[in-house]
Amino acid sequence: MSIIGLDPTSGPLPGRDTGRRAAPRPESLDGAVVGLVVNGLGRSEPLLEALYDELRTLVPTGRVVKVVKSSVSVPPEPMDWERLISEVTVAVAGFGG
Amino acid sequence: MALMEDYYDRGWSDGLPVVPPTPELVTDFLAAAGLDPDHVVGTVPTREVMVTAEHVAINAVMAGCRRDYTPVVVAAVRAHLHEKANCHSTTGTLSGAAQVVIVNGPIRREIDINCTSGCFGPGWRANATIGRALRLVVRNVCRSVPGFLDRASFSTPARYSFCFGEDEEGSDWVPLSVERGVPEGTSAVTVHSTMTMASALDLTSRTPEGILDSVADELRTRGVAGDAWLGDGSTVVLVIGPEHRRYLVDAGWSKADARAYLWKQLAGATRVKVAKPEGILMVAAGGPGMAETWLLLPHLAWAITEPVVIGPPNGGS
Repeated sequence: MSIIGLDPTSGPLPGRDTGRRAAPRPESLDGAVVGLVVNGLGRSEPLLEALYDELRTLVPTGRVVKVVKSSVSVPPEPMDWERLISEVTVAVAGFGG
Repeated sequence: MALMEDYYDRGWSDGLPVVPPTPELVTDFLAAAGLDPDHVVGTVPTREVMVTAEHVAINAVMAGCRRDYTPVVVAAVRAHLHEKANCHSTTGTLSGAAQVVIVNGPIRREIDINCTSGCFGPGWRANATIGRALRLVVRNVCRSVPGFLDRASFSTPARYSFCFGEDEEGSDWVPLSVERGVPEGTSAVTVHSTMTMASALDLTSRTPEGILDSVADELRTRGVAGDAWLGDGSTVVLVIGPEHRRYLVDAGWSKADARAYLWKQLAGATRVKVAKPEGILMVAAGGPGMAETWLLLPHLAWAITEPVVIGPPNGGS
């Protein structure tokens, strides 16, 4: 006897089930526009700024685009995602929560 | 068994066996909730997820619920998908917050929700499967799959299931749901995302002030999360056991009295980010033996209370 079981999900998981993968790492950060995504927890903003300063001593990066979340409770705003997607080469998000 | 193995292989289980959600069972559960399959229970906008009644019914069957639990599960999912319950953050967080379902009203007796000894633990089908059903919805529908959108560093066994009821029969106090605006006699759930649980164990105090000072000390030590986005709606849940309750009640203290006293004791406690006294939620539960009050410390979310109804809320669609 066969049993039919219904699908309990809201669809395939992006990336995991659909073959989408993270973008490949750039070969060089030379001239790259670096995004800093600041969660707002603890001292994440000065930490990421210090990380960027350190990075610039190693590589001649381009400009920095900093996104500071409006709250630790929520993801970046849609306009912040838009800035990151359209402007930056790589982004660093240093804190979870 | 083959179907169960298939569900495991597809990542559709929390690791425990599931009941096959056949079309017949799912239809029956939807009928028990009085909902059409495509009724929208809630959404997670950041994940582009819409949770329908059919999703909830399927996962309730899988969790091992009885059909008459379905309205409670629907109410719990509705509460968890309230904007300020913050599904995206509370189920994705590194901290591994758990979602606790607190049940009030006559439905507790009708479906045998444990409210007394052992109420946080195993042994009661309704407690075990209602909490599990919510978590299966979080996993399967809201996409908080460990390693994917669930990024918990350790997670917690409370994420398998965490549901209990308020011991309304063992308490003279106003039930939590009534304090939060649900009419007396109407069943309701309150869903609270908790990052940490801690016991304020006080075996020696014999006065309301002594007991509540111990609770306040523990709150100050642990801290209560909150931020601007949560505004003045941030909440913490205190589950007060019978021994502590007895000394409060015998001295004539209501929940409101206890809350007012705690509020004064917490003045200046900068790590306790509850904005107003009403943010301290009190629940009578647990069994005798240990003189303790459990603190369910929040993640970045409000506790949300929803009535348990058959059919769409407010007669809508």
